[in-house]
Amino acid sequence: MKRRSAEGAARRVATKGASESHQWLRVAWLFMAFLLITPLIVLAQETGYRPFFNTNSRLVVWIVAELHLMYGAFVLGVPIFAVIVEYIGKRTQDPKYDKLAREFTKLLSAAFSTVAALGGLLVFALFGLYPKFMDYLTQVFHKSYYVYALLFFAEGFTLYLYYYSWDRLQGRWKGLHIFLGVLLNIWGTVLMLIANSWASFMMSPSGIDAETGSFLGSTWAAVDNPLWIPLAIHRFIANIAFGGLVAGAYAAVKFLCATTEAERAHYDWMGYVGNFVAIAALIPLPFAGYYLGREVYSASAVMGNNMMGGVFSWTFIIQAILIGVLFIGANYYLWIGMGRIAGSERYVKYIKYVNVILLISFAIWLTPHNLPLSAAEQLAIGGQYHPILKYLGLMSAKNAVVNLIILSTFFSFLLYRRGNKGRTVPFAEHGTAAKIILLIVGGLCLLFLGAYARHLFTLDPAALELSPDRAQYFSLPGLLLMIEIFAIFAAIGLTFINRGILGQSLLLAVTAASAVLGLGVYGFVIMEKANPFLRNIAVTQFLMVIACLIVITFIDLFLFKNAEVVGGIRWGKMPVRSQYTLILLCITIVLLMGLMGYIRSGLREDWHVYGIMRDTSQWAFTPTMAYMAKVVGGIVFLFLGSIAFVFWLSGLGEKKGGEPEPLPIGGGAGIPIAEGFERPKLHGPERS
Amino acid sequence: MKRPFLGVVIFTIVVLLLFIYVGEVLTRISGEEARVEKEKARVLGGAVEISPEAGHEIFWSRGRCHTCHSVGNEGSAIRGPNLGEPGPTGLPIALRAAKRAEVRSKATGKTYSATDYIIESMVDPKAYLVEGYSGIMPVIFRPPIALSVDEIKAVTSYIQGIGGEVDVAAINTSPFMEQVKVSAAAPAPPSPSLLLEGDPEMGQSLFFDPESPAGCAKCHTVKDTGGKVGPELTNIAGQQPAEYIIESILTPSAVIVTGFEATLIITKDGRYITGVVRREDDQVIEIADNQGEIQKVRKADVKDRVLQDVSIMPEGFGEILTIKDFHDLLAFLMTLQ
Repeated sequence: MKRRSAEGAARRVATKGASESHQWLRVAWLFMAFLLITPLIVLAQETGYRPFFNTNSRLVVWIVAELHLMYGAFVLGVPIFAVIVEYIGKRTQDPKYDKLAREFTKLLSAAFSTVAALGGLLVFALFGLYPKFMDYLTQVFHKSYYVYALLFFAEGFTLYLYYYSWDRLQGRWKGLHIFLGVLLNIWGTVLMLIANSWASFMMSPSGIDAETGSFLGSTWAAVDNPLWIPLAIHRFIANIAFGGLVAGAYAAVKFLCATTEAERAHYDWMGYVGNFVAIAALIPLPFAGYYLGREVYSASAVMGNNMMGGVFSWTFIIQAILIGVLFIGANYYLWIGMGRIAGSERYVKYIKYVNVILLISFAIWLTPHNLPLSAAEQLAIGGQYHPILKYLGLMSAKNAVVNLIILSTFFSFLLYRRGNKGRTVPFAEHGTAAKIILLIVGGLCLLFLGAYARHLFTLDPAALELSPDRAQYFSLPGLLLMIEIFAIFAAIGLTFINRGILGQSLLLAVTAASAVLGLGVYGFVIMEKANPFLRNIAVTQFLMVIACLIVITFIDLFLFKNAEVVGGIRWGKMPVRSQYTLILLCITIVLLMGLMGYIRSGLREDWHVYGIMRDTSQWAFTPTMAYMAKVVGGIVFLFLGSIAFVFWLSGLGEKKGGEPEPLPIGGGAGIPIAEGFERPKLHGPERS
Repeated sequence: MKRPFLGVVIFTIVVLLLFIYVGEVLTRISGEEARVEKEKARVLGGAVEISPEAGHEIFWSRGRCHTCHSVGNEGSAIRGPNLGEPGPTGLPIALRAAKRAEVRSKATGKTYSATDYIIESMVDPKAYLVEGYSGIMPVIFRPPIALSVDEIKAVTSYIQGIGGEVDVAAINTSPFMEQVKVSAAAPAPPSPSLLLEGDPEMGQSLFFDPESPAGCAKCHTVKDTGGKVGPELTNIAGQQPAEYIIESILTPSAVIVTGFEATLIITKDGRYITGVVRREDDQVIEIADNQGEIQKVRKADVKDRVLQDVSIMPEGFGEILTIKDFHDLLAFLMTLQ
C-alpha cells in the first residue's frame, strides 16, 4: 500500500506540477499527524518489540532507514552544487550552466516526494516495531520532532518554489532565485542536523542521567551530544559526493541511450560535472572520516576499540576497497576524458604513474595489521605478523597513504585542467587584486598552520596522559608546519615573478615530503614512544595537505586565467567505458553509504541507546559480513532501481524533440566551478 | 527496454554480486559464522557455562577484551598488557597475578589471591594500573560491556588458565566476586543529596575569578580558559559523577589523575620546589606549582627528585568556601557536560 502511495506520488510528479505538490503535502501531513498521535499510541504498549508479520523487524527497519538515508543524501547533496552551478551561469551569462542547474533540480524535485514517503514509512516501522525504544526517544526528543516537521514544510515549499519559478525568476530576478536555492540548502542542512542528533544520541547519549537514563529536561543537551557535529560534517561532505555521482550516473545512462551528437555532448558534460563535484567532496572526506572515528573513540573507548580492532575492523577492509574504487575510478575517468581534449597528449604520459601510486597506496591502505593464521601459515611468514607487511597495517602507514592518495588525485586533476592550455599570461597582467587575493590566502594558511604549530610547541604531555619527557616528540611536526608556511609563501612569491608552475611544484613536493614521507615515518616512532600523540600527527598532516590544496588551487586559477587555448574539448567524444566508469562510481558510493550506515548503527551492538537502553530483541547480535553484504547489496539494488524509475517518471512530462542544444567546442572546459569566473578563450590570450 | 540500459542493469547486478562475494569471502576468512551462532544463542537466553572455553569465547567476542589485550601471539591489540608471556615481567597472567597479589596485599593490607587480583582488575580496573598503561579500561559489569556475573566468572577461569590452573572454587569464593554480585544487583547509586540548589552563574564567577576564594581557573582549564597545572575540566560532568567531583574539591588527594602527580625537586643550592612536571627534555624540567606558576629547573641543578603521593591542589576548600559558594561552584561544574 505504501509502495503504491509512493509510486502514485512519483507519477504525479512527472505529469503535473500542482498535483505533485498536493501529493507531497498529503505525505507531509500524514507524517506530521503521525508524529503527534503516535506517542499516545505507544504509551499504551507494554511490549518492547513487535514482529513484522512474523519476520525480522530489524531487517525491515534496516532496509527502510537505509533507503530513506540514500534518498535523503541525494536530496540534500544535489542542491548544494545545483545552486553553485546556477550562480556560475549568472556570473558567466552562459545559459548552459543555468540549464544544467535546472536539470539537477528536476532530479531533486522528483526524488523529494520519495524521501518524504520513505520518511513516513520509517516512522511507522519504528513506532510499530520498536515501541518502547521510540517511546524513550520521543521523551527526549519530542520537541525537536515539531521543529523537524516545520522545517520539512519549509524545505518542501522552498524546493517547489525554486524549481517552478525557474522561468519567471530570470534576468534581474536571478539573484532572488539563487537566494531561494541558498535557502533550500539552509533548510536542508538544519533538517540533517536535527535527524543526525537523534542518530548520534543513540551512539553517544547526553542530556540524560548516565545511571538511570532518565531525561534531564534539556532537549538541547541531548541534541548537542559528542558525535553530533562530527557525524554532521561527515554526512554533509558525503552527501555532496553522493549527489554528484548519482547525477553523474544519470548523465551516463542518458549518454548511452542518446541518439544525437548534441545529446551525447550535453550528457558527457553533465557526467563530467557530476564527477568533478564528487572528487571535490571526496578529497576532504577522509579527513572528516578520521575526525568522526577519533570522536567515536573519545566518546567511548569500548566502541572505538570495537570499530578498529573488534568485529567491525573487517568491515573497514570492505570500506577501503570501495574507497579505492572511488578514487581510482574517478582518476581513470579523468584519464579517459583527456582523450577528448586536444593538447592534453602532453600530460597523458604522467597519468599512468599517478595510477600506479594510487594502486600501491590502496594496497597499503587495505593491508590489515594481522589476520587469524594457522600454525603452518605463521611458520611460512615467520610469525604472527609478516616482517614487512606488519608495518603497512599500522595507522601511521594508512594516514600517510591517504594523504598521498589525495595529493595524487589533486595532481591528476591539475593535469586534466591544463590539458588544452598553452602559454599563460604574465601574472602582473592580472592586476593588484590577484596579488592581494594570493597574499590573503597565504595569510589565512599562515594563521591556521601557525596556530597549530604553536599548539604543538606548547602542548602539555599530561593532556595526552603522557609523561613530561615525551614533550620532546612534539617539536618535529611543529617545525614541519613552519616549513610548510615557508613553502607556501615561496610558491606565492614565485607566482608573482611568473614562475607559478615552479611554485606549485615546490609546494606539492614539500607537502608530499613532509606530510606523507616525513610524518608517515615519524608516525611509527610516535606509535612506539608517545602513541596518543599520533592523532596530532594526523591533524598536522591534514592541515598541511589542505593548505597545499588551497594555495595551489588559487595559484592555478590565476596562472591559467586568460591562458592560450591550444585545442577544444570535444564533448560527447567519450568511449562507452567512460560512462560505465561513472556508473561504477555511482554504485560504489551507494554501496559505501549502505556499508557505513551499517557500521555506524552496528557499533552500538546490543544497545538501542549506547550504554543506556539495551536491545533485548532476538535480533540483538551483529550479523556476519556475508549477511550484511547481501542486505546492503539488496538495498542498493532497490535504491538504484527505484531512483531510475523516479528519474524516468520525471522525464515523462518533457516535450518530444526538446533534446539539449549542441554545446560549442570548448564550452564548459576546465573546472566549471573554479573556472566559473572566466569564459574559455578559443583563439589565444587577450593581450592589451 | 533500450539495449544500452539493459547493459547498465546487467553491469549493476554484476558489481553487486561481486560485493556480496567479497562479504562471503571475508566471512569465511574471519570465521564469523561461529561467532554469530554463539551470539544468537546468547540472545535467546542460553545459560553461560563457567569454564575456560566459555571464557575464551567471551574474551574474544562479547567481552571485547581482545580489543585491548592480546594473549601471547593471539591477537594484536597493544592498548592493554599482553596476558601471555610477551606481557609485562615476561610471565603469563596466571603467574603474574600471583606476584601482583602480593603487591596488592602490601598496598591495601588485605589478603589477595591471584584470582582476587584477576577479578579486581576487571571489576575495579583503576585500583591498580600496570606501569606504562593508562586507566582506559571500563568496569566490565557496567554498560556498555555489562557482562553478567556468570560471564565474569567464565572469563576469570579462562585467564586463570593462561599459564596456571583453573580453580572455579576460588572464583566463587572471591570477595571481589561477592562485590560484583552486590553492585550488579543494586540499583544505581543515588545522586548525592545537596543542602542548597547552587547558582551556576555564581559558580562560574568563583571558578574564573582569580581573586575569589576558589580561583580554580588558576590551575584548571575550561574551554580554553585557565591554567594547565591541573586536569582540564571542560567536560568533567560528562566524564565523572557528582560524587567524584565533590570528593576532588574536598579531598583532592583521594584520587590523583594520572599525569598530575606532584613531584618534589630539591636543587643543589637547597631550594625545594613542589609541583606538577609539565614538560621535560634532556636539559630542563618545567614544573607548575599550586598557584599556576611555571618554574624552569635545569637538570644539572637537580640534586634529588621525589614523586609525591599527595595532590598539589590545596586541601581545605571545605573551610575556605562557604556552603553557598561550594554549591554554586558544584552547580557550575555539573554544567560542564
